Order: sequence, then structure tokens, then C-alpha cells
Amino acid sequence: MHAAPDQIVHVVDDDEALRDSLAWMLEANGYAVACHESGEAFLAACAPDMTGCIVLDVRMPGMSGLELFEELVRRRCGLPVVFITGHGDVPMAVSALKKGAVDFIEKPFGERDMLRLVEQCLQRERETRNKRLLEADTARRMAQLTQREREVLDLIIVGKLNKQIADVLGISIKTVEVHRARVMEKMGANSLAELVQHVVALEPGAVR
Amino acid sequence: MRRSTAPQASSPRWYWAVPHVAVVLFALVMLALVWLLQEREAEVERDALARDLLWTEQSMRRVMLGTEEFLVQMARDLSAGTLDYDGFQLRANEHLAANAALTNIAWVGRDRVIRWTAPFDTQDWLAGEALADTQIQAFQQSALSSRLAYGRPYATPRASAVFEVLAPVQRRGEFLGAIVAVYAVERMITRLAPDWFAEKYRLAILDPGGVAIALSSGLSAGNVGIAQTLALEPPGNGMALQVTAPRSGGNLAKALPMAVILGLSLVVMWSLWMLRRHVLRRVQVEKERDRLFNLSLDILCVVDLDGRFRRCNPAFERVLGHDPARLPGQALIDFVAAEDVATTLEMLRRLASGEPVSFENRCRCADGRYKWLMWSINPVREERLVYAVAHDITGRKATEDALRAESAFRKAMEDSVITGLRAIDLSGRIIYVNAAFCRMIGFDEDELLGAGPPFPYWPPEQREICERNLAMTLAGQAPRSGFEMRIQRKNGERFDARFYLSPLIDLTGRQTGWMASITDITEPKRVRAALESAHERFEAVLDGLDAAVFVADARTDEILFANLAFKRIHGFDAVGRTVRGVAVPQPERGDYRIDPRNLSPADVPRELFDGELQHPLSGRWYHVREQATRWVDGRVVRMGIATDITDRKQTAEVARQQEERLQRTARLITMGEMASTLAHELNQPLSAIANYCAGSVTRLQAGNARTEDVLAAMQKASFQADRAGKIIRRVREFVKKSEPRRSAVKITEVLEDAIGFADIDARRTGMRIQTEIEPELPAVFADRIMIEQVLLNLIRNGLDAMSDTLPEQRVLTVRVRRFGDAAVEVAVIDRGHGISEEGRRQLFTPFFTTKAEGMGMGLNICRSIVEFHNGRLIVDDNPEGGTIFSVTLPTETASERNARSA
Repeated sequence: MHAAPDQIVHVVDDDEALRDSLAWMLEANGYAVACHESGEAFLAACAPDMTGCIVLDVRMPGMSGLELFEELVRRRCGLPVVFITGHGDVPMAVSALKKGAVDFIEKPFGERDMLRLVEQCLQRERETRNKRLLEADTARRMAQLTQREREVLDLIIVGKLNKQIADVLGISIKTVEVHRARVMEKMGANSLAELVQHVVALEPGAVR
Repeated sequence: MRRSTAPQASSPRWYWAVPHVAVVLFALVMLALVWLLQEREAEVERDALARDLLWTEQSMRRVMLGTEEFLVQMARDLSAGTLDYDGFQLRANEHLAANAALTNIAWVGRDRVIRWTAPFDTQDWLAGEALADTQIQAFQQSALSSRLAYGRPYATPRASAVFEVLAPVQRRGEFLGAIVAVYAVERMITRLAPDWFAEKYRLAILDPGGVAIALSSGLSAGNVGIAQTLALEPPGNGMALQVTAPRSGGNLAKALPMAVILGLSLVVMWSLWMLRRHVLRRVQVEKERDRLFNLSLDILCVVDLDGRFRRCNPAFERVLGHDPARLPGQALIDFVAAEDVATTLEMLRRLASGEPVSFENRCRCADGRYKWLMWSINPVREERLVYAVAHDITGRKATEDALRAESAFRKAMEDSVITGLRAIDLSGRIIYVNAAFCRMIGFDEDELLGAGPPFPYWPPEQREICERNLAMTLAGQAPRSGFEMRIQRKNGERFDARFYLSPLIDLTGRQTGWMASITDITEPKRVRAALESAHERFEAVLDGLDAAVFVADARTDEILFANLAFKRIHGFDAVGRTVRGVAVPQPERGDYRIDPRNLSPADVPRELFDGELQHPLSGRWYHVREQATRWVDGRVVRMGIATDITDRKQTAEVARQQEERLQRTARLITMGEMASTLAHELNQPLSAIANYCAGSVTRLQAGNARTEDVLAAMQKASFQADRAGKIIRRVREFVKKSEPRRSAVKITEVLEDAIGFADIDARRTGMRIQTEIEPELPAVFADRIMIEQVLLNLIRNGLDAMSDTLPEQRVLTVRVRRFGDAAVEVAVIDRGHGISEEGRRQLFTPFFTTKAEGMGMGLNICRSIVEFHNGRLIVDDNPEGGTIFSVTLPTETASERNARSA
């Protein structure tokens, strides 16, 4: 429904019936689903450019859900995770939440709750991904700047006027204007505000 | 060695003869040679002599023949009458002058009277004299023979010897007389022989008898050599001429070479003999040395400078067991014990530098043992050898070690003795003190030895007593128990000491003094005091105890000792009374494991009792432990310690209740866990079912459901529902598994186990469990664990019911017997409070209990179990007070019958 076409819901559970039934239910609601029978199997299939979210059973033989989650954090995999817990696993789930999991859901769960959590996860993942793409674009553009253009950009961002910039760098105002125009062009910014937004998103320390 | 002596002994015999024989032969040859030479020389001499003699005789004869001719001429002239007196005289004197040997010439007539005579001055042959008798024979001979005749020599007064020669004067055959010439024999020698002859030889003229009548004096009488005699022919009257050569060179010169040869030979012989004697002596010495070498008990050997044996004596075999014949060539160091190798090598190095050494080391025997040897080795550098002597000092070492150990032992003994020893001679002078005495009084041994009374350890104020004691000692009147004296240390400190005295006897049995052993009795005095105070402390501790402690005679029960706590409970006159009636176990009740009255001292110590008892009057609880032990006087006693545990018992009771509550909680927790597991198990299928349903519903609502997909999902959902059902079934199976498993069981064994458990409680609370078991009971068909639980439950109930009963009635009886043909009855009979009619009706209803902490489930479950076993649980009143619970269980055979009929 709301899911982007490239987003996949990864279901990791050792119980085949649960895995299969969850996939059945999620697919009925329009999600693309991939099933994994264990944490190890998921890690084997895991790729850095994966998108979507993970629905993870806490209690599994072999690698437990929590261990898999910690491993994913260590590998800097940004996919949001929903934990499925059984009776008595609540404290474990809480500790998972503290480490950055999106939410947990207790068995037996209702269809609506599960769908809400999955949707929430996918939404968050999309946002994170867009932000990351934008940042990558800005970084690529900034790399194209010359040394002098970069110096000019730094001074623009902290709000210096052209005259001040000329004084600081010991060049003429005309030259500053030329550099400025080049910077705006290379960074693909239509306004000063847009320029600042892009750079700050990439380098939060650039504005002092 | 012995082998080589035989040829050495025999060889001298022949080779010593060779030089001797050679010397003798040489001497003989030399002598012969000399003799031959001398012989030859003598022969030459003789030849010369003979020649000279012949020559002399020839010259003499010529002279005499001349004279003969002269005489004959004269006689012819005279007969012819041509000769007158004057002519005679002229011619005679002429002839006399020419012939010195002649003394006279005379003309003798036929009448034998001298007519004419010459020379004029003659003394003999005077004219007119008649011929003497001696002269007549020749005259007559001449007359008769008418020929020239010589007369015999005779002596005259003037010339020593003379003889005449007569020439007869004949005229026509008629004898007219004779011309006589007289030879002086002496003059013949002196005048007729030349001078050189006379000097060279001795010339003698012998008369016919061989007697020398004239001698030339050329040679001395002693120096005569060979002589030769020749007859004087012209006289022909037996006279002879003798020539004697002087000894040529003399006898001495002749004998000298011989003598020298003989002498030198003798010297050589003598020297050979001496040499032989010397050599024999040397050989003898050598033999003796060899014998000594072989006989020596000590090891003797000759070793190279590099330490290899050259020659070894048989002592090697005796001492070390090595064959001396095999040793030469082996290295000495190979026999030295490993720990001594370094020292030995050092010694060998010193030997190599020419220094004689003497040291001790251990050498390996043939059998692998080691022996101590003391070596004394002298190097002889020019021979590049060392001469070594080794003496076996293993024995000495062992003796030394033993002595050292003995002396160390004695030293240690003497040093460790704490009794002081002091010996004095009969005059009272100290001759010996031991270390302990020195330590005791603080004086050095040197300060004490030789000291006489007053001794330095006599305190001045005690001197009188000390002197009296010494006098008694010297008089031999010291008491056997010794003296107790106060003496002083060097620092002036006084202390009490006891002196025991005994006479000092020397080897000959003579008394030489007195030996005193001194004990410092300050310490024993202090110990006695300390012991008393320790005893007091001990009593104080015992009296300070809360627990009651007593000691009673095991046979008579008389209390021998009681501490304060015991007296406080049982009265302060407890000691001396018997223990009957006080809160201690009683043999009559059978409280003891072993009856203490029958114990012998060999059986103790032994625990008699360990349990809880209630005092009959105060109602307080005591934990009593009793032990049989040996009292100070040797008899067997019971020693008991009773601790008041009333408070503790109450505390324990509270604790037990708490524990039970805890157990109940734990049971609940376990149930919770089981429920949790069950919930998890059921969660899986339920969640799956929900998902399948939700997915299907969503699809159906959306209208995009494919029938076969939904169908498959529904099938899966129903499969999950089955799974849930299976889980429920599994739970039921699990519950089913805890149902009883019955088998043939001996009820007595089950009962033993149950009583074993319960007895622990019973003993603690002072109760006894007694059993009455009928022999040869049949087995029952039952679940052993369950029946044991039932019996344990009933026994515990019975014990609990008797908690208020009087101590002597606290006996629980368990009776087992047959019940009819097909059952066994176990009756648990208590003497407790009993059960009211009301109570009995409610007894088996759940949650009914008479106990404060009871759950009210025990008897209910017991009855369920018993009835499950086709048995019965019945309650009855005990006629003696209390309750009887009877369990009846069918025997194995009866159960089988039932099973078949069912």
C-alpha cells in the first residue's frame, strides 16, 4: 500500500508456521516479504544496500534475536527492527529497545498492531535513506570545489559578506563574486538558504 | 713375581763359575808362560856357564900340561945328568915365576928325601926333609908307574890346599927319584882363571869327596845360582872344577811375575767373590722386598705420571677385589668414587709437580662397593713414576663416624640433660660440672672446676647449712632423698635446688668422690601452683557454662562430679546422689545404645547417648550427650552434658514452619514456570492460526483472493490447530506418567526405610519407635515409593501426636502382621492425644487438620494411595490412650487373582 517497491519486510523466525503465516498476512496487505529461518541465515543473505525492515523473533535456537540485532548494529546495518516476544521475554525486549530497536510486539499479536509497526518501520527507513542520499550528493559536490572555492564557501556559510570575504582572503570583491557564483552552481543550490541547509546536514560543525 | 724368581736363582750358579774358571785358566797360562821363559833363560845361562867352564878348564889344562912338559924335561935332563943344581934352580924359579899356581918345585931322591928345592925362600919342601906320609903315595905311584903322577890334595899350614905332580927320573929303567911341582889349589883359581871369570862366577875346586878345597871369592855364599862341575883331567885324581853362576836377577826377579800374576788373579777372584756376594745380597734384598711387596696388607703400586698402573701388589685383590695382574695399564682415576675425583686429580697434579702427597679417597671395589683408602704417594721424577701406598681405612672411617656419632650423641645427651651434675673429690674440690649445672647457676665451667668450699654458689646467709650438708656428704651420711638447698646464681639470684648424691667409683672400685645431681625445683613448685590455678580455672569455666555437666559412675550411678549448672537444676547436693530421676537417659528405659553398666575400661571412650529429653518437673527440653569414658581413678563413668534447648527448640519449630511455607511457595513457582512453558508452546500455533486467518480475511475483503491460496492457508491454520491439540495431549501424558508402578514388595523393607527417616526426628524429641514384626510375611503388590510415603506420613503423625505425652510413655509401636489369607496389616500405634469422634468423621476430608501448620492433605492422599492399591486405611482408638492407624494391603498373589478375575 504505502510501501516503496524496493522495500522488503524480512521475517526472521525459527518456527516455520509462524514465519509462513506472517508472510501470508503481510503479503495480503501488499508488502514484499523475505523469510529467514535463523539469524545466521539472515546474516548470510544480508547486503549493505538492503532496504525495508526486519521482524525478528527474540527466542530462537542458535543465534538469538538479540544477538542478531547486536551483530547488525555492529555491522552498521540501518534497517529498523521489530521484535516478537513470547511470554516472559519482556525485559529482554526492553533492553533491545534501548539499543535502538523500533518496537516490540508480544505474542499472540493482533494483525493491526503488526501492520502498524511494519509501516512505521518502513516509513522511518525511507526517511533515513533519503537523508543519506542527499548527504552523499552534497559530499560529492563539495569534493568538486577548488581550494579557494572551499574557503569562500566556509566563509559564506558563517554569514560573511562578499567584502569581508575579500578582506579575509586578500582578494578583490570581483573575484569573490566569481567564486561565489561557481560555488552555488557546483553545489546545485538555488539560494543561500538551500546551500547552508545542504552543507550543515553534511557537516553539522560547519556553522559556528 | 714369584714366577720370575726361579730362573734368577738358578742362573748365577753357572755364570758365576765362568769368570772364576777364566781367571784360574788365565793365571795358569801366564804362570806357564813365565815358567817357560825362565826355563829358557836358565838354559841359556847354563849353556854360557858350560862354555865358560870348559874354557877355564881348557886354560888350566894348558897351564898344567905346560908344567907337566917342564917337569918331564927336567926329569929327562936330570937323568941325563945334564942338570945341575944351579940349572935346576934357574929353570925352577923361572917356571915358578911364570906359573903363579905353583908354589914349589923340588927334586926328591929315591930315598924320598928332598935334595933340591925351589924357590929359595920356601918354607916347605926344604932340602933334606923327607916326604911326609901324604906325599909318599903319589911318589910311590910315580915310581911304580914311571909316569907322571898327581898326588892327592891335602892341606898344609901355609897354603890351604896343595897337591903335587911328580915326574919320575929314570935312568935306564931305574928309578932315581922324581921332580915334584906343588900346586896351591887356591892359586890355581886365582891365577889360572881370568879376572872377568872370577868376577862373573864363583870358581871352586873340589876334592874327590866333592868338598870344595878352594873357592874364588867372586860371589857371596848366598847368591849362588846354577853350578856346573867338570873333572880336572890332568891331575885325574878325582879333583873337579866347579863353576857356580850367580843367581841371574835373583829369585825375587824370577818369582815376581808369578807372584804378580797369582796376586792379581787372587785379587780378581776376590773381587769376583765380593761382587757375587754383593749381587747375592742384592738379589736377596730384592726377593725380600718382593715378598714384602706381595705380603703387604696395604695396597702398593707403581703408577705412571699420567696415572696408569705399572705394577700392583696382591693387596689389590684382598682389599678391592681387583686382579692385580689386570690392573697395569688401567688408570687409577677410573677406580675413584665420583665425589672424590676432583680431590684426587688435584693430588695427582701436585704429584706431577714433584711434591709427595698424602690424602684419603674412596675407591670402587670389584663388587661395586666403595672403600676408603688413605694414600701416601711419592713421586720419583727422574723415573717418571710415582710410588703409592694405600691403606684401607674403611673400618677406621666407619669407626670414626661411629665415634663421632657416639660423641655427638653423648654431647647432645649431656647438653640436653636439664639436671645439673657436679662431682667433687674426697676433699670437697669440684672435679666435674655439666653444662646444665653451669646454665642453672650461671657460672662458667672454668670458674667452678678446682674450686673448694665455700663454693661460689653458696649464698653467704646459707653458708652454715651448706657446710653442714657438705660435711654430711663427705662423711657418706647424705640422705637418700637428697638435700633441698637454697643456692645462688652468679647474678645473686637465689633459687631452690635439690641435691641427690651418689659415690663416684673408679675402675679399681675405689671411691674417688661424690657425684651430685641437682634439680632446680623452682619450676616444679611453680608448676604445682600453676596446676592448682589451672584446676581452679577449669572449675570456674565448667561452672560458668550454661550446660549442665556431670560425671556419674557407670555401675552405681553415683554422681562423682557436677558443675554449677547441673547443681542448679538438680539441687546443690547432687554430688554423691544417684542419677536416677534426673533428666538423664535411664538404662532401664533402654535409652542407651549400649548398657553402660556392662562396659569395661577397654571399651571406652564410647558414645552412649545423643538426643533430646524433657525434664519431668520443669518441662524444659535438654539436649543430652553422654559418653562413657575412663575417670581419673580408672573406673568407667558416664560423662554427660545437658544443654537447655527449650528456646532453641521453639526457634527451630518456627524455622521449620517457615521452611514449609517456603516449600509451598516454591511449588507454586514451579507451577508458574510450567504454565509459562505451556503458554509459550501454545503461543506458536495460536499466533500462526491468527495470522493465517487475518491474511485470508484481508485478501477476501480486498477481493483479490485466489481460492487455492486461501485454501492452502486455511489448511495450514487447521494444521496449527492440531499442533495446539497435541501440546495439550502431551501435558496430559506427562500427568499420566506419574501414576504408580506396582511390583512385589517386602513390606518390612519398606517399613525399615520409613522408620530410618522418622527415627532421626524421634530421637531428637526423645521418642522411641519400636517394631513388632511377624516373621515370614508374604510380599505385597505395591508402589514402593508411595507406600513408604504413606507409612512415613502415618509415623510422623503419630510422633507429632505424642509431643505432649509424658517422656516415659513416648513410644510409638509399629506392628506388622498377616491380615487374613490375602492381606498384610501395618498398624501404627501412638500414645498421643487421640482423636475425638468429631475429628474422626472429618479425618479424611480435604483441608481438615488438627495441626497448627498442617495443610490437611496428608491423610486424604494416604487414603487415596491405599485405596489405589486395593487396600484400606482404618482409624481406631488405642485402648491405652492414643490412636491406631491400620493400613491393609493385599498380598501379591491376592492382587494377581484380582487382576485375573477383573
